[in-house]
Amino acid sequence: MSAEITKIGIISCSGEAIPEGTISRLATRRVLELLRPDVTVTLCLPLFLAGNEAERNFAKTHPTITIDGCEKQCARWGTEKHSGPVSSALVVTEILGTQAAGCHLSSRDLSRPTKEAVWAVAERIAAEVDSVLAKEGPRHDPTVGTTGAQCSCSNPVPFGKLTISGATVTIPGLQLIFEQCAERSIQADITGCTALLDALKVYHRILPEEEAVYRSALLAAYQDFRCRAKLT
Amino acid sequence: MTNEGIGNPVLVIPCSGIGKVHGLISREATYLVTDELAPGKADTLCLALLVKGDPDAVAEVRNHACITLDGCAKACAEKNVQMAGGRVAKAIQVATCFKNHRGAQPGNASALTDDGWTITREIAASAACDVARLFAGEEVIR
Repeated sequence: MSAEITKIGIISCSGEAIPEGTISRLATRRVLELLRPDVTVTLCLPLFLAGNEAERNFAKTHPTITIDGCEKQCARWGTEKHSGPVSSALVVTEILGTQAAGCHLSSRDLSRPTKEAVWAVAERIAAEVDSVLAKEGPRHDPTVGTTGAQCSCSNPVPFGKLTISGATVTIPGLQLIFEQCAERSIQADITGCTALLDALKVYHRILPEEEAVYRSALLAAYQDFRCRAKLT
Repeated sequence: MTNEGIGNPVLVIPCSGIGKVHGLISREATYLVTDELAPGKADTLCLALLVKGDPDAVAEVRNHACITLDGCAKACAEKNVQMAGGRVAKAIQVATCFKNHRGAQPGNASALTDDGWTITREIAASAACDVARLFAGEEVIR
């Protein structure tokens, strides 16, 4: 079996209140999409607190580079506290100096200085990726897929299907909706129908005249989901 | 004791999602609210500061009503504000706002299309209405 290449994790602070946060985000995306797509992955920083164990282990399973907008280094601090030590820590203000002063917060109608700043930071990140890769060398990492840029929360939302009046209706996120309902202890019987329907209606438009047929199809699918959950 | 209430700016906090278009929509909707639709009534802060546990950021979310804009059901913004002891007056999930835009092609995590901006403006307009109510000392429906 050939060894798979190590994936470098890139964690951006994405600081919403400062232009350097926007630059850190856009530069990270550029590395993921254009400069080093085959060897980099990312994760949303707040997932270290809000996510599950697998997400909190991100820096333990990937050599990780943090990209912070300012000297507070929230990405580095958050990653190291909640996930593990980082391989490298970059700070936009240290890379750009005062160059980011005229940059925008929004990615809409990016000014030329902002675009140049993003490129400069992206190239610096790419160089750091190369440096970390050179130290790490190729290795087999079964926790990492072979696609390019990937964030745990960017995996496609799993679809579910309901049969409504003889037709198959595809519903994005049905599994997640059921998981949330199970967490809320919604019963898989007639008493849970209304709550199930209300939960689905948040994400999926259901006409009033369709409610009755959705109600029974949804309950059957939820019962099946709960049965399978018990078996596993 | 908090300073929430009449004339107190509302914090609009997006999720920092970087993996897909929903995070970008939450971010751009926030800037539309703070910069164009409700300047002076709304402000934002870096969610990463809350992840870090920065005392000033924690004080901010405890002293202002917060509207969180999350890209996905993991609700990172809402959860992090709550974990910091802040009050989430309204929690908006971008994914739910797609239900009236079936088939829309909003763009990707780096750039929004016209469809994406349309959805973003709708979310921002809704959030701006809630900001106005909270700024006036009224409650909003969660």
